[in-house]
Amino acid sequence: MNIIVCIKRVPMTQEVDLEIDGKGKGIKTEALAYVINDWDNYCIEEAVRLQESFGGSVTAITIGSEDDEEILRRALAMGADKAVRIDPGALELDGFVVSNILKKAIQGMDYDLVFTGVQADDDNGGMVGIMLAEALGLSHAAVVTGVEPEGDAAVIRVELEGGTDEISKIRLPSLLTIQTGINEPRYVSIMGIRKARKKELTVIPVADLGLSEEDLTPRTRIEEVFLPPETTGAEMIEGDAASVAAQLIKIIKEKGVNI
Amino acid sequence: MGEICVVVEHRKGEIRDITFEMLSKARELCRPFSHRLTALVLAGKEAGLANGLTKWADRVVVFEDDRLETFNADLYKDILNRFIQKDRPFMTLMGHTSWGMDLAPALSVKTGLPLATDCVDIQAKDGRPMVVRQIYSGKLFSRVSFKESSGYLITVRPGAFLPPDAEPGSEGEVVKQEVPADLAEPRKAFVEFVETGAGEIDITQADLLVSIGRGVGEEENIATIRELADRMGATLSCSRPVVDKNWLPKFHQVGTSGKSVRPKVYLALGISGAFQHVAGITGAGTVIAVNKDRKAPIFRVADYGVADDLFKVADALKEKLAGA
Amino acid sequence: MSLNYPADAVYLGLPGWVYAWVISIAGLSLFAYIIYKRSFLIRSAAPDPRFAHMGKRLLDLLLYGVIQKRQPRYLWAGVIHLMIFWGFVVLGLRSIDLVTQGLNIPILHPLMETGFGLFYNTLKDIFELIVLGACIWAILRRALIRPERYEGSHHWEAYLVLGLISFLMLTDMFYEGAGLLLEPSGSTGWLPASQGAALILRGSDPLFLARVHAASYWLHILTFFFFLNFLPLGKHFHIITALPNVFFKRLSTGGIKPARWDVEDIDELDSMGVEKVEDFTWKHILDFYTCTECGRCSDNCPANSVGRPLSPKMLTMKLRDHCFNTVPLFGKKQEDRSEEDGPVLVGDIVSHDEIWSCTTCGACEAECPVFIEYIDKIIDMRRHLIETSQNPKTFNQVLMHVEKTGNPFGKPAAKRADWVGECGDLPVKRLKEGDAVDVLFFVDGYGSYDPAGQSIACDMVRAFNKGGIDFGILGPLEKDSGHQVRRMGEEGLFQLLMEENMETLKEIQFNRIVTTDPHAFNTLKNDYPGSFRVMHYAEFFAALLDEGRLKPSNPLDGQGVYTYHDPCYLGRHNGIYDAPRRLLGAIPGLNLVEMKRSRDRSFCCGGGDVMLWHEIEQEEMRMAAKRIEMAREAGANVIVTACPFCYIHFEDAVKTGGWEDEMRVVDLMRLLVSTLD
Repeated sequence: MNIIVCIKRVPMTQEVDLEIDGKGKGIKTEALAYVINDWDNYCIEEAVRLQESFGGSVTAITIGSEDDEEILRRALAMGADKAVRIDPGALELDGFVVSNILKKAIQGMDYDLVFTGVQADDDNGGMVGIMLAEALGLSHAAVVTGVEPEGDAAVIRVELEGGTDEISKIRLPSLLTIQTGINEPRYVSIMGIRKARKKELTVIPVADLGLSEEDLTPRTRIEEVFLPPETTGAEMIEGDAASVAAQLIKIIKEKGVNI
Repeated sequence: MGEICVVVEHRKGEIRDITFEMLSKARELCRPFSHRLTALVLAGKEAGLANGLTKWADRVVVFEDDRLETFNADLYKDILNRFIQKDRPFMTLMGHTSWGMDLAPALSVKTGLPLATDCVDIQAKDGRPMVVRQIYSGKLFSRVSFKESSGYLITVRPGAFLPPDAEPGSEGEVVKQEVPADLAEPRKAFVEFVETGAGEIDITQADLLVSIGRGVGEEENIATIRELADRMGATLSCSRPVVDKNWLPKFHQVGTSGKSVRPKVYLALGISGAFQHVAGITGAGTVIAVNKDRKAPIFRVADYGVADDLFKVADALKEKLAGA
Repeated sequence: MSLNYPADAVYLGLPGWVYAWVISIAGLSLFAYIIYKRSFLIRSAAPDPRFAHMGKRLLDLLLYGVIQKRQPRYLWAGVIHLMIFWGFVVLGLRSIDLVTQGLNIPILHPLMETGFGLFYNTLKDIFELIVLGACIWAILRRALIRPERYEGSHHWEAYLVLGLISFLMLTDMFYEGAGLLLEPSGSTGWLPASQGAALILRGSDPLFLARVHAASYWLHILTFFFFLNFLPLGKHFHIITALPNVFFKRLSTGGIKPARWDVEDIDELDSMGVEKVEDFTWKHILDFYTCTECGRCSDNCPANSVGRPLSPKMLTMKLRDHCFNTVPLFGKKQEDRSEEDGPVLVGDIVSHDEIWSCTTCGACEAECPVFIEYIDKIIDMRRHLIETSQNPKTFNQVLMHVEKTGNPFGKPAAKRADWVGECGDLPVKRLKEGDAVDVLFFVDGYGSYDPAGQSIACDMVRAFNKGGIDFGILGPLEKDSGHQVRRMGEEGLFQLLMEENMETLKEIQFNRIVTTDPHAFNTLKNDYPGSFRVMHYAEFFAALLDEGRLKPSNPLDGQGVYTYHDPCYLGRHNGIYDAPRRLLGAIPGLNLVEMKRSRDRSFCCGGGDVMLWHEIEQEEMRMAAKRIEMAREAGANVIVTACPFCYIHFEDAVKTGGWEDEMRVVDLMRLLVSTLD
């Protein structure tokens, strides 16, 4: 069972106050720490688990600079066998371009499954995976929370809205976009990541893939970014905890809830 | 004549709310340009879904075939591609749902049309759409433009737009179209639906919900909040990260992949206000949010907010309730 | 006494000395074989440098091995043991004498004919009675009082050995007693045991006496060699290994051993930590052999007392048995096991929860009379679990946060010094490369990002100012000290943090480092290389107090009854008990009481280390709650802490237990600053 996992390195923004950069189309990145995209971590874990059960090899791919190799090493430390980094140089990327680059890189490989995360933590696009599937001509499904291979097919579970899941059977080879919570990713230690240096990591400049100009031209572009408007929002209740509590209780009772 | 198409999302015989939200926005976009608004229904035979849609669109195009009863990307992709190639609509809208995410990007590649996803606003400027999206999990907004094209694909965030309220004057026409005979064999087969939200407690029935998020920190801290909920006679609920960590069972989860709730009061403790969660409380009467971070997105949607440590506030509430 | 008696007596046509030689050779050969087998693991285990500081080692051997300073911590058990131990020391000579008599090479006879011999005989007799009495007392105590800490220990073995020792005493008594009656000689001196036996035997006919005399001798010899060979089979191996074990004990406290002593760069290691028993060091194997199953460790283990699955005694016993099974005395050794065959160390022999239950408080190590080490072994096992991704998944995020942002909360490194804003207008120098300062204030994660920790840090800033101290902080240049990270088993990440912090520290000139937190203090002092001076704030401000630069003048209102909780990493691991008490003593109007379990018997609050990020299901009550109970029992209504973790955990316990009216928690720094003007 050979599996390809497409992963991305994204900034950690949860506890950070984002600042818009000089050009107004992105954020200031100097003080940011970078990690593997949360969804992609689940992809690697799922791929490695399937490999542990069914044999085969796992290949991790990313598009990025040398700094991004860190997540490939982490994937190798988790159990992936090979890693590939495609260097995009100064190319402007959008979901469309990324999916084309990945398609060219993956085209010649031997695989039964391709995993991508449902979305990336930075652009929240949620489109690269399925675009890639279509470009490769693979069967596909999005927001997958369970994968069980059965011969030349797989029984998959898709998470729908409102507390319902959909079970289907999909023919392999297939591309699935993986949702968080599908498994519990294993920890990889610093030592483990260092040891992964022994495993194969290939770097391919994007020019070597021979993509057409059209395929490398973004179809969407960010014109500007802006902070959420200070709309009406909540009426803030200030004061010490005791007085806040008193006010909250009053509000709750006013709204018709007897406490 | 320009046309805006809305792909109708339905499940188990019911049209999903996102469809109406999209139709409402699409109508707003159609007006200034006198575009025609078309709703596209792909459904099983005799589904009868068209009837619920004629009020909200100029035209309801229906493809009926038993193979289409439940969403299938391969089949929908094929039919929609052919339709788009023939009709050449200006804009085609789909919901940014699990199924929408499975359909739209593939359709984009198949048709060669550009796609923008999870949009919270759409405008048309100089013959091209301009959309607004959220990035960095809602911390930032981006305004996105498209490369010039003969048509544009957009997926819409559920809850970003309001469903239509006013009853329109006219009724649209229903047009049945033949499902192409040479449709490729789909590579995915539906097996069944499974309800995951079932559990001992039905949070959708509660009048008062005390809801916890990532801010609760560790599993052991949940106990003290549970006490608060008990003391208030409230039901405990939570956001997704709490369930992902297995601290609470799934039936407590509020949000797009959990349940939609409509309590009289929703007390959100340590919840940042990520869109997927907030989508589940649009029906709540009053939302009170407590979060250490004054800039947390939840305060944009809450009615009342407290920028303080949730445990401090929870303890103070317990004390006041014990005293009173 | 008859010269050469047993040697010359004839049995079945052969002289006694033949039998004596046969028994001795057989006994000694078997013993040598057993010891050889037992030594196998010690020889193939990992290295451990324990040969430096010979002088200190000898001193400690005297203090703890010979004088047995730790034994009386459990008074009566300690007294009994001292009686038996000294009995063995004194009677050793006697045994050699008896055996050599039988072998017909009575080398000790000349000595025994002198005045020393007379003295010795009396001494030995007295001790025989003492030992016999002690054994009976021990048997009764074990059977009737049944101390809880013996649960899980091998009682049958205890009874057997106590019985054997008693038997050895009795056989010698009756041998001597019968001898006295058979050949009375005038100048024997006072021999209470032998004469007592003689009293019992008086009036028996000579033939009977002769039989008793002979039987006692041969039974004694046989029992002796049986006993000798029985020792290495169970907990009484300690009789042989205890003194060496004490001699080779750890001399330093607080720090954790490196991954392997003979490898400096961990990148060279193929595997990290202890996967199989041979990965332990030879001293650790010796530790396993030396366990007496006394249970004092488990009795003091806070994890054990709140219902967690960890019992240090059982951990050692299980690992000892595993050692015995790995190299059995007879039969094949379990050859190079791979993961498939043979039991897995963590998983089969000991459970995962046992390993993760430990808070590394060190109470077990402070208690063990034979200086068995626990923390290093548990950390070594954790290291392997981390490397093989078997750690609790709740660690993943915390470790990722520490790696990426230098603090366990995942908060931006750039905000590490933001807490300074909360201190009002007090100036706080931000140090950078090339700066020089007197005191480098190492704030660490909790002081920088947690509200409770931040308020302690602010109090320290106030006190530094009041004392006119030239101090500075590193701000975002400071990374997590790595204390918890190392003790979770993530050695690679610890080394990374340590290297980064050392790089920063090298560029700054300072006289000493003062920390908010005993954990940072402990690791900077005991895990980090380099010889800079590190102090916890308690020591530092106590020194200022002594110099008169700090004057607590505002008296307290006298309402509170205060008790001080010794944090594990300030007290037990680093021996700092008095400095905080001096500070408290200097506060006017402070009414201080001591808890029963204080100083090196302090009871861990449950904070620090892994427990923040992993729930052990079996836990019945929180350690902090138990400790608050102890404070209450001491009559206190205020518990003073000197560690942010202790503070947070006690606050939490008070809140959860609803004891806000009965117990207040206050940090030492806050208390101190409130009395300065």
